Formats: sequence, structure tokens, C-alpha cells
Amino acid sequence: MTIGSMLGDIVKSFFKKPATVKYPFVKQETPENFRGKLIYDPEKCSGCQLCIKDCPTGAIELLVLDKVNKRFVMRYNLDKCTYCAQCVVNCRFNCLKMSEEQWELASTTKEPFEVYYGREEDVKLLLEQAALGEPEEPCKEPG
Amino acid sequence: MDNKKIETFVVPIGPQHPALKEPGHFEFTVDGEIVTDATARLGFVHRGMEKGVEDRTWVQGLYLMERVCGICSHVHAMAFALGAEKLANVQAPPRAQAIRELVGELERIHSHMLWLGVAAHEGGFDTLFMLSWRDRETVMDLLELVSGNRVNYSANVLGGVKIDISAAQKDEILKGMDFLEERSRHYMKVVTEDETFLGRTRKIGVMAYEDARVLGAIGPTARASGVARDVRVESPYAGYVDFPVNIQLSDAGDLEARFVVRINELFESYRVIREILEKLPPGDLAARMPRRIPEGETISRVEAPRGELLYFMKSNGTDKPERIKVRTPSLCNWASVLQTAIGHKLADMPMILAGIDPCFSCNDRMVTIKTPANPDVWDWETLRQFGIEYYK
Amino acid sequence: MNVTFPPLLALLLFPGGLFLLVSGMVFEYIDRKLIARFQNRVGPRWFQPLADFVKLLAKEEVIPTGTNRILFVALPIVALTAALTAALSVPLFGFKPVFSYPADLIATLYLLSTMTLCIGLAGANTEDRFSIVGATRALTQLFSYEAPFLLALLGPAIVLGTWNIGEINQSATNTLWFIVSQPIGFLVALIGLMGKLELPPFDAPEAETEIVAGALTEYSGRGYALFRIGRDVELVIGLTLISAFFLGGFTTPLDFLWKTLLLLLVTAALQSLFARLRIDQTVGLWWKIGAILVLVQLLLIILGTQLSPLVSRIFGG
Repeated sequence: MTIGSMLGDIVKSFFKKPATVKYPFVKQETPENFRGKLIYDPEKCSGCQLCIKDCPTGAIELLVLDKVNKRFVMRYNLDKCTYCAQCVVNCRFNCLKMSEEQWELASTTKEPFEVYYGREEDVKLLLEQAALGEPEEPCKEPG
Repeated sequence: MDNKKIETFVVPIGPQHPALKEPGHFEFTVDGEIVTDATARLGFVHRGMEKGVEDRTWVQGLYLMERVCGICSHVHAMAFALGAEKLANVQAPPRAQAIRELVGELERIHSHMLWLGVAAHEGGFDTLFMLSWRDRETVMDLLELVSGNRVNYSANVLGGVKIDISAAQKDEILKGMDFLEERSRHYMKVVTEDETFLGRTRKIGVMAYEDARVLGAIGPTARASGVARDVRVESPYAGYVDFPVNIQLSDAGDLEARFVVRINELFESYRVIREILEKLPPGDLAARMPRRIPEGETISRVEAPRGELLYFMKSNGTDKPERIKVRTPSLCNWASVLQTAIGHKLADMPMILAGIDPCFSCNDRMVTIKTPANPDVWDWETLRQFGIEYYK
Repeated sequence: MNVTFPPLLALLLFPGGLFLLVSGMVFEYIDRKLIARFQNRVGPRWFQPLADFVKLLAKEEVIPTGTNRILFVALPIVALTAALTAALSVPLFGFKPVFSYPADLIATLYLLSTMTLCIGLAGANTEDRFSIVGATRALTQLFSYEAPFLLALLGPAIVLGTWNIGEINQSATNTLWFIVSQPIGFLVALIGLMGKLELPPFDAPEAETEIVAGALTEYSGRGYALFRIGRDVELVIGLTLISAFFLGGFTTPLDFLWKTLLLLLVTAALQSLFARLRIDQTVGLWWKIGAILVLVQLLLIILGTQLSPLVSRIFGG
């Protein structure tokens, strides 16, 4: 039966630095396999779309500009992604990985949440087509 | 004096209350400070997940089921994956099973430390709350190191796991285990010896062995009353066949016993994690699973930090499940709370509620509304119409 | 120090009134920061209590139905007024008490209890379950710690032969510190102060996890701000009283500062060490242990005063 059994704790804590990490002035390091933003490399992609089939939320879409010459653009919706990395597991050509540095993805507007990955000229072409007012296909429900 | 009608004084706790971390409604009828009756009403966090998983493929459903609960997310995914593998007759490789157990035990550590802090906070002991949550950061960092995220680890895939343990990670985990073991010994001392804390936990909320059996209590709540129910020991799954755990029991049945049982389970987890890291079997991380799971029904039982978690899974041969029913452990323990609450003081209510480690978001599954007009199962439109009429 | 302030200045600005309110906030900040550091956290910044006060004043005051409107609005004002009035007889900040009269120890203690009475009334006033339970607990706690607290503070008064706080303060600077000669009384007085201010572990009337905010559940905006600042003022006054009596009185403001801050450190440590006591455990603790300890202390004092001429003849002569 003791009274004040945490006395040692509070004395020690008083003389230690607080355990709080003062984010955003101090940032903690993220480990190597941290699941941050998805990164896609179009050069290795073969267009099999296995990643898209298994995405639980429909966050990624593959826009095929030219199947024979393998020109793909991936549209990635940051706000729909659950960062589960199932697409990374499914890809057989190592086109996808999850960044360990880019995880501060909050934003006050919706634009940064739609990311296009691809060769520059392909992305420009797509955005021009969209600006011309071609109707976009609405997002299909998963499955 | 015409005082024939005795006024009942009902204190409502919830759905919005500082004692509850999640919404749930309890009504305690008090007489001064003594509670004479207790009722509960749940269902505030119903999200329709069982319906949602019927529209998604098996792979997508795995990630949806993971998000039933934030604290026990890995065991939900593991139960789903184990059930799907049983239906497809696929055996996950031994390394995958061992890693599943490893992450499951790490999650158990995290959940028990969280519970320790929350229960201390309900009892007004804020220092224990803050310090145990500070030490919990160690296990969260370990989980982030191993799986890539602090919550919702997504370690499971159908057929195995997607993460591997490297040598550097193994060292980090062992270091973390040493630190946590030392701190857990200190907390055990505080919980069993501090005079003011014992005044709040000893002989409070006593549930006898017979009551625990009859009311169907499971998990550490039942083990604290001497009922030896633990799925890891009764029907071992995943890695528990090769790396078993010992069941932790206590006879007292009061709140202090629940603290003691959970901290003892922490020590067991440290031991098992060290054993797994020592003898991690080599091999693949995942076996190949077919996209279309063959027809069948199966039951998948795992031991969540709160008790036995049961998944009933039925497939119809396509790539989408036919029906998945989830029965979470917290649902079984409510009856024990309402029973033991009677006769105690109002001040003990939050600690008794917290003693079963309630996880409200796990609880809310399909609600059956039986009216004389429509006694059958309803379809979507009827339910929607009912909701509109009810809230007019 | 023997500085006489013009009455209006003392009442409104210094050392009572505005300066006391500001120092109440400073003491609250130091208390919260110390507790945070004991729990290995960072704690609030220096302007947090002021920010809380300003924010609460800016919020809408909701008067629930079923209450007596006049009582609802008046009780916080009465509580704060009582606390500020009690401050006038206490040697604040090391200066002579502004308004001193014979036997003002009793009157000051009653004025300090007025705050708890107001909280109890405020809780009983509303129809909310939590407030009624909180009010009951607040009044129960009032009945349990008042007697030992008063008797413990009487210890120095008996030895010095006066019941005037100013004179006790004056004489305490010349005699041996009472913490050495009456340690039990000091302990009971300090813990009694924690009970009066409803600091943990005696915060059952305001138990956040059980009854939301106790008696003050229905208060918001201006009324709540006044209750909170009244409690801070009482913290300052209570610490001043105890350090004046037991830590050898004040002569200068610097003296005041380090003695009260030392007591605040001890109080903060006591706040973080224990779990909350249930209301029946509080009553049991005070009526069993508290009362007995203080009676033992009084007995020792009486024996001491009777035997001291004998002792001094043996050792002095």
C-alpha cells in the first residue's frame, strides 16, 4: 500500500524535456516503408490495370492515350485513396510505390487532390482536351 | 403526505459525454448516489459495412473490414483473410502466419496501453493517463516502422502479408520491447499498490464466475472473473500454432483484476514477440489466391484485444462475397456492465463502463426493426422510406 | 511592508481588484504549467488563462428554462465579490492588509466559503441532472473539510494569541516558522485548501468524466468566466493565508512571491499524484483522519503553551 506511487515519475518528468514533438517546427522522421502519396512511373507500365481492379475506393484511373506505344496517364485522386498499398502489391513491373516524404497532403481547395502522372506532353494533351469541354466519364462505383 | 409515487431520478450518460470516447446512450436510475437500474442503447455509429462489403470484391472488402475499428483493425483484416483463405482452400505460408501474429500482438500491446490510460482518466488519475500514452507512442512508432502507418496497418493481403521484417526492424522492435516491459512493470506496481487508485478499483464492479459464464462475457473481462475463454488457446489460428500464448486468469473479478489481467497479457505479448523474432521461419510472404472464391460458408474466430471476434462468411462462387456477418467482442460484454452496475455509486459508473474496454464503433451492426406490418427482411427502399417517416 | 493604500485604489486596482484578477490568472498559468511538466507535457502558453477569460466573455450566455433568472445571473457575481472582499483582509503581495479588523480570520474564511455555497446554489437552481448531483457533492464536500481546515488555521492563531490576520502575519515573521512547530496543522491546512478549491484529488463535485462539469454544467459565457476567475482569486488568497501562517509571514513582496510559489509547486505535485476520490471517500477521509489529526495538533499546541514556560526555564536558565 503506497501513497503517491508515481512520485518518482513526476519528479523525473519535471526535469526531462517534454515528450511532445513540436510539430510543425520539428518533424519526426518517417520510416522507409511509410505509406504516403502514391508515385507512378509510366515508363515501366504495361497497361494491365490490375492495380485499378483491386483499389477499394477507385482512387486511380488509367487514361490510355496509345496502347500500342504504351503511352499512359494515371489520374490519382488523393482524397479518395486510403493508402492501403494494394495497388503496389499487385503491380508486377514495379511502377508504383508509396512515397515516404510526401505525406502532408492537406489542402484548403480541391485542386491539389487530383494528380496526373505521365509524360509531360501526354498530360498536357489530356488537360487541353478537358479544357475544350469534352464531357468526362463520371467516376464508377468500385466493383 | 401524498408521497405514493416514488420519483425516479435518471442520469443519462451519452451520447455526448466526456466519459465516452464514442457515442452510446446509458440511463442510470439513481437514488442519491446509488444506482438502482441501468439500460443501454447502442447504434449511433452504424455505418452499413456489412451491406457495403457485398458490393465490393474480396480484395476490396479486406480493406473495408479493416476499418470497422481503429484499435483492432488488424484482427478484423486477419479474420477476413483467414476466412477467405479457408473458403478458397489456400494455406498462407508460415512466414506470413508468423508476421500476422507479430503484428497482432503489437496491436494488442497498443490497445491495452490505450485502455490503461483511458481507464485511469475515467478514475481521475490523469498522470497515469498521460504517462501510459507517452509510452504507447513507442509501440505506435514500431508499428509505423514495420507496416508504414500508425493505425490501419494494412499488413494483410488475401493469402498472406505484404510486409516483411528486416534485421534493422527486428533490433528496433526488441529495443522497444525492453523499454515497454520495464514501464509495464512500473504500471503494474502503481495499479496494484497505489492507495487512492485501489480505492477506486478494488471490490468495485465485481462479477462472479457464474455470472460471467451465464451472461456470456468474453475477453479479458471474463478472464478477470476466472472464466478461461481465449481463442488463441482454445482453437489456435495463424501463427499461434507454432508460437502459443499462455492464458492469463484472475479470480477476483473486480476492476483491479481487469487491470491485472490486461497488464499480464502485455507481458505475454512481449515474450511471444521476442520468440517470434528469434525464430521467424523463412519463406514467401503470400500464396496465390484465386480471384473467384469457391462457394461455401465458414466461420473465422480470432482473439481481438477485447475478446473473441467472429466472422461468418458466405461466398457464392463469384468475386464478391454473398454475406459477411461480424460479431465483435464488445457486444457480448454489455450485459455484464448493466448487471454489475446495480448497487454501485454513480461515481463508479465511468470506470465500470471503461472496464470492459468498450469499442462502440465495432458494435453497431444490422438493426432489425420488426413491425407488425412488415415482419420480413426489408430491402433498401423500404428501409429508406422508414427512415424518412421516422424522422419527420 | 507598511504601505497604506488609498481605499479606492486598493479596492479597484492594487493590491485588490484588477491586479488580483491578473495575478489569479498568472497563478493559474503556473499551476497548469507545473502539472503539465510533471506529466511530461509542454503545457499552455503564458496567455492561456487570459485567452480563456476573453473567449468566455465573448460567448453567448444561455439561460436554461426552469431556472430562476435573477439567481442564475447573480450567483457568479456574488461569488466573485465575496472572493475579492476576502482579499482585503489578507496580506496580499507582502503588503499590510488593506482592511483589517479584530477577528477577521473567521470572517475571511466564511467569505471564502461563500464561493462554494454559490456553486452549490447554482447547481441546485437548474433542472439538469448533472448540476443537481454536482451541487449535492459540492455541499457535502463543504461540510466535510470546513471544520478541520478552520481548526488547522487556528493553530498559529492560538499560539500567537490573536485572531487578526494582519497581526498574525506580523508576529509570524518574528517567531519560528509554524511549519516546523505544527507540521500536522500545516498538512491539514494545505490539503484543506485543495478541498476548498476542488482541486484533484478532491474534484468529485466537478468530476469531468462522471457528471460533465458538476454544478457549473449549465453555465456558459460570462457567468462561467466569473466563476473561474473567482476560483483563481481564491487560489491566490488561500496560498497567501497558508504561507502567511505557516511559512513565517511576509515582510516584502519578494518574500511573498517565493513562499507562495513554493506552496504552489507542492500543491501542483499533490494534484498529479492521486486518483480522484469518490465523494464518500472524501467525507470519510476528512471526518476520520482529518479531524483526528487536527485535534491531535490542537492538543499538542495546548500542551506546548502550558509546558513552554517550564521548558524555557530548563533550557534558558
